[in-house]
Formats: sequence, C-alpha cells, structure tokens
Amino acid sequence: MDMRAVLIALLVLAPLIGAVLCTFLRTQAVRSAIVLATGAILVVSAAFLVPLTPFKLSLASVFGLDLHRIVQVADFILLLIILYYGFKHRHLAIIALGLFQVAMLVTLEFFLVSGPTVYERVNCDQLSLMMVLIISIVGSIICYQAIPYMREHEHHYQVAPSRQPRFFFVMLLFLGAMNGLVLFNDLTVIYFFFEVTTLCSFLLIGHDRTTIATQNALRALWMNSAGGAAFILGILAVYRETGTLELQNILLPGLAGSGIYLLALALLCVAAFIKSAQFPFQSWLLGAMVAPTPVSALLHSSTMVKVGIYLVLRLAPGFAGTFLSQSVAVFGAFSFLAGAALAVGQSNGKKVLAYSTISNLGLIFACAGINTAESMIAAMLLLMFHAVIKALLFLSVGAIEQRIASRDIEDMRGLYAVMPVTALITVTGVVMMIMPPFGVLLSKWMAMEAAARNLYVIIMIALASALTVMYWARWAGTLMSDPFAGRFRPERQPVLTWLALGPLCAGGAALSVFAPWLYMGLIQPVLSGSYTASYILKAGVLENAYGAFAILPMCAVALLGLVVAVVALKRAFKSRIVPAYMSGLQTGQPFFFQGPMNQPVKAEARNYYLDSIFGEKRLTDWVNLGGGILLTLILGGAL
Amino acid sequence: MQAVKRFINRMRSKSPWLLHFDCGSCNGCDIEILACLTPVYDVERFGIINVGNPFHADVLLVSGTVNHRNKKVLTNLHAQMPSPKLVVAIGACGLSGGIFREAYNVVGGIHKVLPVDVYVPGCPPKPEAIIDGVVLGLQKLQRLHEQPSVEKEA
Amino acid sequence: MTRTAILIACGLIAGPILGGLVSGMDRILTARMQSRIGPPLLQPFYDVAKLLFKESLVVNVWQVFCAYCYIAASSIALVLFFLQSDLLLILFVQAVGAVMLVVGALSSTSPYSHIGAHRELLQILSYEPLLVLVVVGFYLETGSFKLTSIYAWREPLLLKLPFLFIVLGYVLTIKLRKSPFDLSTCHHAHQELVKGLLTDYSGPFLALTEIAHWFEVILLLGICSLFWATNWFGMAILLVATYFLEVLVDNITSRMNWRWMLSYVWGVGLTLSLVNLIWLHQG
Repeated sequence: MDMRAVLIALLVLAPLIGAVLCTFLRTQAVRSAIVLATGAILVVSAAFLVPLTPFKLSLASVFGLDLHRIVQVADFILLLIILYYGFKHRHLAIIALGLFQVAMLVTLEFFLVSGPTVYERVNCDQLSLMMVLIISIVGSIICYQAIPYMREHEHHYQVAPSRQPRFFFVMLLFLGAMNGLVLFNDLTVIYFFFEVTTLCSFLLIGHDRTTIATQNALRALWMNSAGGAAFILGILAVYRETGTLELQNILLPGLAGSGIYLLALALLCVAAFIKSAQFPFQSWLLGAMVAPTPVSALLHSSTMVKVGIYLVLRLAPGFAGTFLSQSVAVFGAFSFLAGAALAVGQSNGKKVLAYSTISNLGLIFACAGINTAESMIAAMLLLMFHAVIKALLFLSVGAIEQRIASRDIEDMRGLYAVMPVTALITVTGVVMMIMPPFGVLLSKWMAMEAAARNLYVIIMIALASALTVMYWARWAGTLMSDPFAGRFRPERQPVLTWLALGPLCAGGAALSVFAPWLYMGLIQPVLSGSYTASYILKAGVLENAYGAFAILPMCAVALLGLVVAVVALKRAFKSRIVPAYMSGLQTGQPFFFQGPMNQPVKAEARNYYLDSIFGEKRLTDWVNLGGGILLTLILGGAL
Repeated sequence: MQAVKRFINRMRSKSPWLLHFDCGSCNGCDIEILACLTPVYDVERFGIINVGNPFHADVLLVSGTVNHRNKKVLTNLHAQMPSPKLVVAIGACGLSGGIFREAYNVVGGIHKVLPVDVYVPGCPPKPEAIIDGVVLGLQKLQRLHEQPSVEKEA
Repeated sequence: MTRTAILIACGLIAGPILGGLVSGMDRILTARMQSRIGPPLLQPFYDVAKLLFKESLVVNVWQVFCAYCYIAASSIALVLFFLQSDLLLILFVQAVGAVMLVVGALSSTSPYSHIGAHRELLQILSYEPLLVLVVVGFYLETGSFKLTSIYAWREPLLLKLPFLFIVLGYVLTIKLRKSPFDLSTCHHAHQELVKGLLTDYSGPFLALTEIAHWFEVILLLGICSLFWATNWFGMAILLVATYFLEVLVDNITSRMNWRWMLSYVWGVGLTLSLVNLIWLHQG
C-alpha cells in the first residue's frame, strides 16, 4: 500500500480509534496510555509526512468502500446529531440552521452534482504539512497536559462517575478531524470535517454540564452552524460557477471578475470568520472559557480557530486584487484593533488570552486580505508562532488556576514566589508574544511593512500593536511583582505538565531562531505558484527591496544580552535587599505599610484596566456594530 | 587604584542629591531649605538636586525634632539610602529638640536616632548656612574615604 | 567588516557621550529659562559616575535583570541605527527597552512604582502608533524602510512630511519625559509620584536606566535628523531648533493627566498623521 495513504489514514483515523478506545476502556491508566500512544502516533506520522510533501492522492476508496459515499452518509448522520441536540435543548436557531444545511446538502449531493467531481481527494502541500505539524504536535501536547489536569479537575469538582472517557473521546476526535480538514482537497469532505469540529467544540464547551456551560455550548453550536450554512452555500455557489469541488481547482485565475464566484468566496470567508470568532461572532469563543482549560488551549491554538485561517489562506489567491480582498484586509485589521482594545480592559487572564487570540487572528486575516507575497508570509509565520505560544500561555494559566484557584491577573501578583518556574515560563511566553527577535514580532514586522501602503489597515495595525504591548507587559510585570524570596525553589507539578510546558516554551524560542529556514522550506514553496518576489536570506538577515530583519544577528545579540542580564541577576542576590519604598513606613512585609496604632495596612495598587475606555460593557456593542458593517461590506462588495 | 578612588570621590562631591525629611518642624527650616532651590541661591549650580526618594539620595536633611511616632520613619528612610550617605541636622530642633525638647512625646535631637554628620544651627538657619552644611558634609565624606581605615567604619 | 565594527563602536560610544551632553545642555537651558545659572555641562556625567559607584540596594532582583535588559535593548537599537538598518525593526528593539523598564518597575511592591509603570505604559500606548506612522510616512515617500535609502533621499523629507514632523515632536516630548507629558517619572513630582517608574531603581541600576535613556534620546534625535538629511547644516539647525522647542515646551507647560494625554496625543497625532499620509498616498 502507498506509504502516503497510510500516513493520511493514520493522521485521520488513529485519533478516531484512540477516541473509541477511550470510551470503552475506562480505567485511568489505560486511558492515559491510549492518549499518550495516539499522540505519539500523530507526531511520528506527521514527521514522516515531511519528506513526502508535496503530493496529491486520488484516494477514491477506503477499505474497499467508496470514500465519497462514506462521507455522504457520515455527513447526514452528523447533521442529524446536531439536529438532535437542537431539539433536545429546544434551540430554534440550531434546528433551523441544521435543517437548512440538510436541505442544501441534499440539493448538492442529489440534484446538482452529477458524476465524479473530484479526482484528487488529498492535497498535501506545505501549508497542509504546516497545519498537520501544528495540530499533531501542539494538539498532542495539549492532550498530554489534559491528563493530569482533568484528574485534578474531577477531583476538585467531585465528578462521579468520571466523565473523562467522553472528554478524551472528543479531544482525540477533534485532532483527527482537524488533520482531515487540512489534508483533503474535496470540498464536501472538508465540509464534513468542518461540521465535526463544530460538534466537537460544542461537546467540549458543554463538558462540565453547568447551566452556563450548556448555554455557552449552545451558543457556540448555533454560531458555528451558521458558519456551516454559509460554508455549504458557498460550496453550492462555487460548484455552480466552476463545476468542480476541488479546493485547488476553484481558484482559477480569470474567474475573479464573476460576481457569483466572488460571492461564493465571500461566503466561505464568512464561514471562516465565524470559526475564527472574529467580531461580531466573538461571543462563542469567549463563552468557551467555561470549559476546562485544555479545551480552551485546544480551541485557541492548534485547532478550531485555525480552521478559518487555513481556509482563508487557501482562498486568498482566488480573490487577489478584488474589492473582496481589500475588505477582508480592513475587516481583519479591525478585528486586530478591537480585540486588542478589549483585551486591555480585562483583568481575567483567560479573557485576555481569548481577546488576544481574536486579535491575532484578525491580523492574520488582514495579511491574507492584503494578499501580497510578504503579507502571506507574515500570515503563515504568525499562524505557526501563535499556535505554539498561545497553547503555552493557556496551559500555564491552567496550571496557575489549579494552584491559586483564580484566573484573575490581580490574584497572580507575585506568583513568582508561589510557582517560580510556571511564572517564568508564562513570562517567557508573554515576551515571545511582544518582543524581537521572537517570531511573532517578526511576522508583525512583515505585516506592517506589507500593509504600509494601505492607510486604513496600517493605522489600525499601529494602534493595535501598541495596545497589545500594553496588556502583555502589564501581565508580565504583575507575575514578577514579588520581593526577594531567598533561594530559587521550583514548585511541584505533574510530570506531564512539565512535559507540556517545557517543550512548548523551548519550541517557541527555537522556532524563532529557525524562522528563516521555516520560511524557505515551508512557506516559499506554497506561495511560489501565486505570488512573486519576496525575502531573501543573506547572512541571517531576511531582506527584500525595502526592508530587512536581522533575525540571526538579533538572536545572537539577544542571547548575549540575556547572559549578561542573568549574570547581573545572580550578582544582585548578593546585594543588600531592602523593602520597597513606602514613604518610610515599610513593615518588611510586601505591600504593607505601618498604619495607625502600629497596625499593618495594605497598600492597594491595582493595574490600570482603563475600564471607562476599553471596558467590555462600553466597547462590545460598538465593536459588534463595526464588525457587522464590515461583514456586510464584504458580502455586498462581492456582489 | 588611588586615582580611581579620587575620581569617584570627586564625582560624589559634585553630585550630592538631597532627601529632605521634616520630622515635625514648624516649617521655618523647610522654607529655608526650599529657598536654596530658588534662582537666588540655585543649588543646582553645585549639582545638588532635591529628590523625593531615599533610594536616590546621598544626603539626608532633617529638620524638626524626633518624636516617638516618627523616629521609625526616620530610621527606615535612612536604611533605604545606599551608602555612602550623610545626615545633616537642620535648625535648633534638629540639633537638640529646640523648644519642644521637654514635651512628653519628643525623643530629642536627630543624633538620638541617627549618626549625624553635620549640625546646622539656627532658628531657622539661613539658606547660605544650609548650603555650607552640605558642603562641609561632603568634605567630611571625602576625608573619610581618603583614609581607608576609617572607610569601613563609615 | 571593519566598517561594521567601527559603526557599532560609534553607536556604543556616541550614545552615552552625546546623550549626556544633550542632557547637560538641557539642564543649563532649563536653568537659564528660569533665570538660574544651572549646573555645569558635564553634570549628568558626574551624576551617573556617582550612581555607578554607590552601594547596590535591591528591592527585587528582577529589577536588576530588567535594568540590564533596558540598557541592552536601547544600545542595540542605537547600534542598529548607526548600521543603517530597518527603521521599523529599530522601533521594535527600542520598544523592548521601554517595556522592560516598565516590567522592572512593576516587579517592585511599591505603589509609587506601580503608578509610574502604568503611566509609562499609557505613554507607550500614546506614542508608539504615532512613531510607526512616522516611519510609514518615510516609506510612502522614499519607498523603503531601510535607513540607507532614507538618508540617501534626494530632498529634505521635512518638505513632504511637515505634519509627521510635528507628530514626531509629540513623541519626542513624551519620550524625553518633558511637561506636559512627564507623568510617569520626573524630578518635580515628589508629592505625587516620588519618582514614579524609577522609584525603586537605585545606585548603579538607576545609572544604567539613565544611560539607557541617553541612548534613546540620541536614537530619537537621529530619527529627527532624517527629516533633513541632505546636508549637515540643515540637519544641525533642525535638531537644535527642535530640542530648544522641547525645552521651551517643558518650561511653559504644566503636567497633565493621562486621560488628557491619551485623547490629545491620539486625537491630534492621528489626525495630523492621517492628513499627511493621505497627502503622500495621493501624491
């Protein structure tokens, strides 16, 4: 059998098998083993995929059955499950959207499509490979950390009987579906996996079965069903215009002039925006915070929201140079700005992360909309770095939350004294989000230089990146805000937590160093078909006609600076340690001064959250309005 | 080595930053201290800056009597100053407790709590006298540092 | 190779020396405007030398780490400027220093440090977008972010980017910690702030932040110099005039609060940038 087909099957089906096994073998040890083994298989398969890329496969049948038929049946079953949940919770929107999708699917499968439409079902190019690597590696790491997390979680909430089998069933299924989504070329198959991720996220968000969890899960379901509806409508329109269901082949140049064709692409983009929780659809992702933290990590970093990005990156060459492209750029930049502004107003750590996800995804969409070689490179680099670092930050916050029983940034003040290693890792994550020479900033730099000719976009990006610096710096400082605590004593954590946090942290840094090679190996080949002229690597400096980013020299100098700073830090331990200035009334106890009657009084200094400007209450309606208007612009402009 | 030491000493005497602490004086001395900063006296000519923070200060100017309530504040502030540092007691109250010395809550002059380097008498002392006091203090600091044996003690 | 080494050395030396001199001039000028005589020109060097040899008092060891990061970042930014690198990259590196200074102040437990740190963050929030837009203006006019091309541009950029120069003036006022934007730390706000952001930096570490600040000042003046890069004379006049104006503004205005700063700087700065950028875009 073809090695490539085997790898595809492993990447998609191994998680499914693992998932099924998890439901039936219900002991903790066995389940951990299954999760670990599935993760290992995924990582190894993804690694084997590297030398084989790029390739295309017809893959007409699986185990003797027609793949198309399997997907068709599975599609209907899936929609029926969604309808079941709609009826169970008496949710009108879900029912209506579910029925609409069934009707559309019937139209597509039985009336519109005649004969075989797809010849190459699998298309694994470097973009797919990049996604597979992110999903398999980061996703598996998140699942690993979920093992100790869920044990603690169920212990804390006294869940009996354990609901972990169901939890890991969905988690693993999610990874398989994601792999399928990025590997297949057949739009109906992609649609199927698109819906699987919708269902999985619904199940995961509602996992804790509290009222608020159910409510938020239903919101996620109906919003993403709307995305699904837009998706299937888009497929219908695309098929009508191009007569093909191959993702690669619908992007034919020359079609861009046609109104229906652009509308079809716009509908697919809207589906992508909903998946990626762009404004005004952000509420489902914010609601997803009620789920256990590994779920948030999974939704925010390697899966779910990245579906939207992947789709738009794929479609971008199809609408290059059109008004649609322009409006996607403005829409993305708006999301970047609005997300950053809302993040500034938050003191809830997970919400800050959520808004920052939305905001970063907005920047990626903006880059896709700008649609030049440079901006696409920026988008793909950001996609990769964001996945790794955001997973790291979510897992850290999860670990912190389980220790201090709060996710509020104010409660993390002086965390360094309680959990020094986790605090340091979190700060490193934050630093990697905002500082050169790390990858996120590299891609932000590329994005800014690519966007410089687009006035609306560059102004929004400039404002948003300043806001971004503000909310991250504030958090990093708060974590370190503790007086000298004597010897460095690492805290105790489950081994799997360290195994998740350590590699993600080191990986984020290593990826930044290897960014130039990632660019040449993974990104350039994808772009070479549709775009021309971009960066060349010269003595470790990425350079093009109008800009240069000295990655390697900067890394070297930064490392040197770090070494000097660390040496200074070590020497500082020998200095005289004094309490901070408290107008001469310091008590020796941090944050306290000597008040009346010689009683210690706490000096309260909270972070600035600028609630009156950037508060959720104040901004949300306006931001939704803005997002809605821009979305109308995208759809209307496409016509 | 000697040259470096001399250089550092010169720098120290060229940039004395003051921290002014009012231990409950009648504000007469304080007004005279602040008068030093005005264009008439312009102590910035000598590199003197009035800072608000013991971490940055070289010279602690104290006016007023020490009482039981504020002696802790005074010692706290002094402890937060990085050495080498000077203490200059200003005015009659700072020297001995002045007219308040018999009061039930008063500890007395600054020297009861801190090692005072220079006493500037007067009620209140003139700005010239205060500047002179600081300069005297700096000379003392230099003398101390030129004799290595005394340095440790300081 | 030797040229690169010489330029790096120039950057590393010019920063502290020129920065200190500018700061000394600044203090004399300020004193004269207040009809005082003022300190000697070399006073900033005396201060820093004294601080470097004081006892090191530490509130939180991370503050030391941050002080070193601050000076590393600001010196690298200036070196990159001397190496004629990418202007946007230089801004990012410079921002690292600014952020590390804030993180260091936040790592103390003193409320004064915290207030100063948050105000500094708001200052960063105010000037950072404007600085980016100024650089975008350079790009729209010269077609490049690289300093080599910007310096080689055939005519003074001030003629095409007058409003952006005013915007840069706002940035400069904030960065130099001049009134009305000296919210986060300043010599005159004892009652309100103690020393704000720098309250708990002391001795040698305070000296480091001071030297790092000089690096930043020279970097910003360097960016100013881009506006008249065709001849040395024009550049010198522009820089002297700009700095004189900064000192004047410092002496005739009073400290305002952050709300005013944010709305005013964004309002005026963004409008002016937008006007100038549209003008460039259409031209």
